[in-house]
Amino acid sequence: MIAQVVLSLLLGVVLLYAWAQYRRSPIVTVLSCVASLMGFYFVWLPSHATRVAEFVGIGRGADLVLYVWACISFVILLNLHLKLRTQHELLTQLARSIALANATLPEDASSSSLQRMSSLTEAQTSQPRYRLADGPRSGQTADQSA
Amino acid sequence: MPNHSFSSIWVVCPAYNESTAIVSVIARLRQAGYDVVVVDDGSADETRQLATASATAVVSHPINLGQGAALKTGIDFALEQGADVIVTFDTDGQHRASDIPRLLDALVINQADFALGSRFLTEPLSMPRMRRILLWGATLFTVATTGLRLTDTHNGLRAMTRRGAQAMRLRQNRMAHASELLAEIARSGLRYVEVPVTIDYTDYSLAKGQRTGDFVMILLDLLAGKLYR
Repeated sequence: MIAQVVLSLLLGVVLLYAWAQYRRSPIVTVLSCVASLMGFYFVWLPSHATRVAEFVGIGRGADLVLYVWACISFVILLNLHLKLRTQHELLTQLARSIALANATLPEDASSSSLQRMSSLTEAQTSQPRYRLADGPRSGQTADQSA
Repeated sequence: MPNHSFSSIWVVCPAYNESTAIVSVIARLRQAGYDVVVVDDGSADETRQLATASATAVVSHPINLGQGAALKTGIDFALEQGADVIVTFDTDGQHRASDIPRLLDALVINQADFALGSRFLTEPLSMPRMRRILLWGATLFTVATTGLRLTDTHNGLRAMTRRGAQAMRLRQNRMAHASELLAEIARSGLRYVEVPVTIDYTDYSLAKGQRTGDFVMILLDLLAGKLYR
């Protein structure tokens, strides 16, 4: 009985986690819910678990519960992977912003290009957006070199 | 004489540790009169310094993010500069600057927003057998998942109009970006056309190119990309 309560509590946490993840990844929520509900069913009706386990060739109901738990772990692992990807996307956006804010214009770039950039830069921002390549003139804006 | 009248053409060159080939690649593009933005993707070698000496502009990722991310950064930069047309061009030396006018003309003649280079529309080319099989598989995959009728789905030489570039939402940082880009073309509903281009395979470009295992990772990336918002 104690084990059933503990497992149910854990499965309840998984259900809450799944619900919280719905907006970000509906498929993870669905998989987690299915696995959790299966877990509830087998935890509280172990005789059914034993029957199903025998039917699918696992042997014992307890083993089946273990396998269900393994499935839940896999789904959570998948969700963590997706979360990492989301974080990486944010990191990408940050890195891109930094890169674009520090775009470098080599000193021998064509004057037409520089003029075009200068006019756009003036129109788009009051702050100097581009800097020249490394060298004694580093820190000047494209406007100054055009 | 070219058929196009685009006034601002930017060539986006994503580069990661390309110090061997980047100088000659940029030189050819600059000689042809194009504005070139090199996106240095966190290279550990001299790529950024070499690019700075010859490109129109250099944008440097503070860390390595992947070719897809570099392309997206370059496209964003070109759009900021008011580009009418954006060309993507690999920096390993496998593309020819002389193919770009054909892409630009194709955009005008076909009133298309995307002109995609295809190595399989030209004369039969020598290519490692495994690479040919993988590209054939990638083409089948693209046709099945996007409905686009293409002969070459992993060619880095493309041209897109400003409208086309703005219509795409690119999120794949790594090698899956090529498939994602095609999926975005299909989603946009904009017109596309394939244009024959020549690929110059060298030991260097083959070494820098995709490997068999990359295609597995591409499939996994695409799958993972479908699973979250």
